[in-house]
Parts: sequence; C-alpha cells; structure tokens
Amino acid sequence: MYRNDTVVPAFAIIFAIALFYMAYLVTQRVAALSGHTPAELTVGQIGLMAFGAVLFMYGFIGLLSNWLEGAELRPGKHEPEASSVPVVAGVILSLALAAASGLFVRTLVLAANKEAEFPPPTWLQGGLFAAMMLIIALLIAIYKKFFMAEEVLAEDEKGEFPW
Amino acid sequence: MYQWLDERLDLSRLNTKFLRKAFPVHHSFFLGEITLFAFVVLVLTGIFLTLNYEPSTRPVKIEGYNDPVPAAYASILYIDSLPFGAVLRSLHHWSAHIMIAAAFLHMLRIHLTGAYKKPRELNWLIGIVLLVLAIVTAFTGYALPFDNYALTATGIGYHIGEAAPWLGKAMSAILFAGELEASNTKTIPRLFSIHVLWLPLLLLAMIGAHLLLMVKQKHTQPKYAEKVAPGRILGVPAMPQQAVMMGVLFLVYVAVTTFIAGAFLAHPVEAFGPPTPNTPSVKPDWYFMWIYGILQILPQWDLKILGANFGPQFVGGILVPTLIILGAMAIPFLEPQKEKQRYLELPSQHPRRTSFVLAMLMFYIMATLAGYKIDFLNANPNLSSGTLIAILWVLLIVAPILTYIISYILMKAAYRSREVEIEFTGRASAADD
Repeated sequence: MYRNDTVVPAFAIIFAIALFYMAYLVTQRVAALSGHTPAELTVGQIGLMAFGAVLFMYGFIGLLSNWLEGAELRPGKHEPEASSVPVVAGVILSLALAAASGLFVRTLVLAANKEAEFPPPTWLQGGLFAAMMLIIALLIAIYKKFFMAEEVLAEDEKGEFPW
Repeated sequence: MYQWLDERLDLSRLNTKFLRKAFPVHHSFFLGEITLFAFVVLVLTGIFLTLNYEPSTRPVKIEGYNDPVPAAYASILYIDSLPFGAVLRSLHHWSAHIMIAAAFLHMLRIHLTGAYKKPRELNWLIGIVLLVLAIVTAFTGYALPFDNYALTATGIGYHIGEAAPWLGKAMSAILFAGELEASNTKTIPRLFSIHVLWLPLLLLAMIGAHLLLMVKQKHTQPKYAEKVAPGRILGVPAMPQQAVMMGVLFLVYVAVTTFIAGAFLAHPVEAFGPPTPNTPSVKPDWYFMWIYGILQILPQWDLKILGANFGPQFVGGILVPTLIILGAMAIPFLEPQKEKQRYLELPSQHPRRTSFVLAMLMFYIMATLAGYKIDFLNANPNLSSGTLIAILWVLLIVAPILTYIISYILMKAAYRSREVEIEFTGRASAADD
C-alpha cells in the first residue's frame, strides 16, 4: 500500500486462482452428494467465481499498472525509448485480432443459422470475443509503454474543478 | 476541426481545467473502477435485453412446449436463441455479481486504508448506499425470467420485507404490486419498471455524486507521495494517461467477464423450465446467504407488539443487517480527526482496525456457512438438527472473535519486529508494501 507495488496484485491473482479452484471443488462435492453432475452453477460457486474474477482483474491491471506507470511517480516529462520489438509485437497482435474477429463473425453467422448441424457453443463465442478485447487492451498497453510520452504532475491541492 | 470547435466551445480551457487533473497512481484504486465498469456493462447489456424482453406473464404457445408458457419466459428463450444473445444475457447476470463483489472489496480497501476519514465521510456514506442499491437492483431482477425458480428465489426476499413491523406488508405490496403469486399478473411489469428504470436512475445519480466528490476531495495518495511532493497531488493527467489506463481496464473487464459468461452460462432458464405448481426449494444468491444463514439457525418464536410481529424473520432478515449497515455508516464518525486524511494508511500499522475487518469477514463467512444447514443435515443423517445449530452458533460467534485475537497478535508481533528493523537499519523493507 506504500507504493504502486506488485506484491498485492500478484497475491490477488493467486487468490483468484484459488477461488476458481474452490468453485471447481464445490462442483465435485455437490455432484458427489446428489449423485449426478449439477446442470447449473450453485450460488456458492457463483459467489466464489465473482470474487475470483474481480481479484483476477484487479491483480492483472495492478501488475500492468506497475509495468506501465512504475512503482513510484516522479514529477516531469518522460519520453519513451524507441525499439523495434514492440512494433513486431503490435503487428503480430493486429494479425491475431483480425483472425479472432473473423472467427467471431463466423460463429455469429453459424449461430444465426437455425438449420446448422453444429451450432457454435457459447464458450467459443464468448472466448473469441474475450480474445478480441484482450488483444486490443494489449495493443493499447504496448502503445502506452513504448510510444506515448509520459507526464507526471504535482498539482496544487486546491483546484478550481468542479468548484 | 479542433480549432473550429475550440473557437466555439473553448476546449483548451476544458483541457487545462479538467482534462489535466492529476490522478494519483495506485493499484487499489482500480477496485472502484471495476465496480464502475460492471455498472456500465450492466447498462449496455440491459439495453439489449430490454429490446427483446416482454415483461408479461400472459400465456403464449411456443415450439417445444406442450402447454403455453409465460411470455416473459418465452422472451428469455428467444434472447438465448439469438446469435451471442445467451452470452450477453449471461454477461448481464455475471456483471451484477461482479459489481457487488467489486463494490464490497472496494469498501474493504477504503476501510483498511483509512480513506473514509475527514473529508471523505460523505463519500463513504454514498458508497454504502450504492452497495445496498446494487444488491436491491440485482434482487429485483430475480423474478424477471419467470422460470421455475423465479418466484421461490424472489419469495425469500419478499417474506423478509414483509416481516418489517407495521410497514412491511404495505412496502412489499408496493414493490411487488400486491401478493407475490404466480397468478398476480402485475408483479412482473412492476419489478421490470423498478429494475430497468427507477433503481438504475438512482444508481446513476449516486455514482455521479460519488465521482464528483472524489474529484473534488481527491484520492488518498500512496504514502511515498508525501516524500516526493509534500502537500501536493502527485499523479498523471486525466487525459490522456489516466484515460488510457481506464480504457485498458474496461477492455480487460469485458474480456474476462465475456469469457466467464460464455463458458459458464449463468441461470440457464431452459434447464429450469417455466413455473410449475411445485416450484423447487432454492437458496438465495451468495450476497444474501449470510442473512439466510442467520435465519436458518435462529430459534422460532412469535412476539406480537401493537399488532406487529417481531419474529426470527424480523431479527435475522431486517434487524441484524440494519444494525450492520448503521454500524458501517458510523465508522468515519467514530474516529474523528481534525487533520485532512491525505495519504493511504498501511493496514499493518492499524492492527485493531484491520483485525476488526478480518473478524467481520469471518462473521459473513460463518453466517454464509449456516445457510448450508439443510445440505449438512442431508449429507450427515446421523447429525441432529439441534447439534448442528449449536455448532453453527459457536462458529458464528467464536470464529470472528478468534480471528480478531489471532490477527491482532500476529500483526502486533510482525510490526514490532519491523520497527526494530527500521531502528537498526534505518530503512523500511518490502513489508511496507
């Protein structure tokens, strides 16, 4: 809490994985008790997974923030260091984005066809859309890290905005 | 183009006055942003749902069902049949859970770091109202799919609300447009209106006030900022740096939740089926489980005062949660201070407060565990109900107390050894983080 550290976000990701694993264990337990595989998630599983998802996102963005913004800010302007590696990474990610977008549209077309023999499962639709969003997020993150000039302000405590 | 707009709207003044506001950087601030983005996604997916949902219980004939089904149920099946429709509906459902979980963790962070202190007392109160509103909004959405679980799940909350002395029945009648019954055709349109219009508008207004106060009063900054720029706000400009980070987080939010929504379809109404005369018993959602758990272990009694019934439903469902909410609201006023709280406090340096938070968490976990009383009894036929209730009571009371004592002792011991380390080496270790 002293600085924008990596300790708490890293711990949050580990905790998130533990919660998802607990949700999985709850499924096994419920299945064993009732003698069948439950068709839907239990309230306990949903709760564990909701907290797991929040902690995962928090941990991920926390680590990303540490990488992009550093552990401590220092007032002034900071120019990025030019390099060809992020350009290559950007091109690869852009190609991956085009591929994921094409596949996603394909699943939508297949899902719209009621006569389709094998309609695309929801995990594939959700997964492809998630991949697209994640790739765009990574592209922006790379741009910020390697191409965007950074500025740190030390602002007066009493501002004019909003009043 | 920019010049054309600038000459008419004075955009450069907007830039210097607002868009260059300094935003302190700390990972813990993202918990509030996750809560905000969950709300944004709820609104966006909610708009899609309202375009296709019919808030009515009129019977309609659809393919695959011998008997007519309620129109609300049929419209949910229609949404699920649309390309990406099931994922978007699931995303709406998951975002509701994630918003509540994120708001809860955000408030824990605020409490643990002392960010509720002067001058942010009002924002702490608004935050509590926002959490309660988010839970109530989620609750009013339970019955809308009008499947086999809709009425039983909603019924738990309905009966708790009804147990409020004197006003309970009238309040429930307003919220549910009369009695909560399958035959009451007015309940679904009433809940729909409250769920998609009134509560979201209220949430929007409160979120606006919350953000406005946050901008005015500034974040509590990470402690190192005191050394780098004492008395000033150390941060990155809102535009473009902070906006870029928020954009990345929004995309990460959508990615993670869409993946979960697609892989784990929440509330599969087709598997539940339309309402039947024999609706199955059901547990409330996880954020109500602690209240449900207390209700499970409270003894049954009946006390009538001036025509009002003060039974276990009132104590477990209304009195205890109200006391906890009032207690949470009182927190900033129990620690009055003259100085403005500018920097995040380290939880390790406040063992009493941190231990209290951990003890309260243990209380919620134990109360939630009590919600599984029937499952424990089914799994252990030799265990008597009385014995199990006694065990759950002991856990509910003793586990939080033990948590407080143990965490307090551990923190005191760890912090004392750190003070010794600073005394000898003259610097703090990574434990500061």
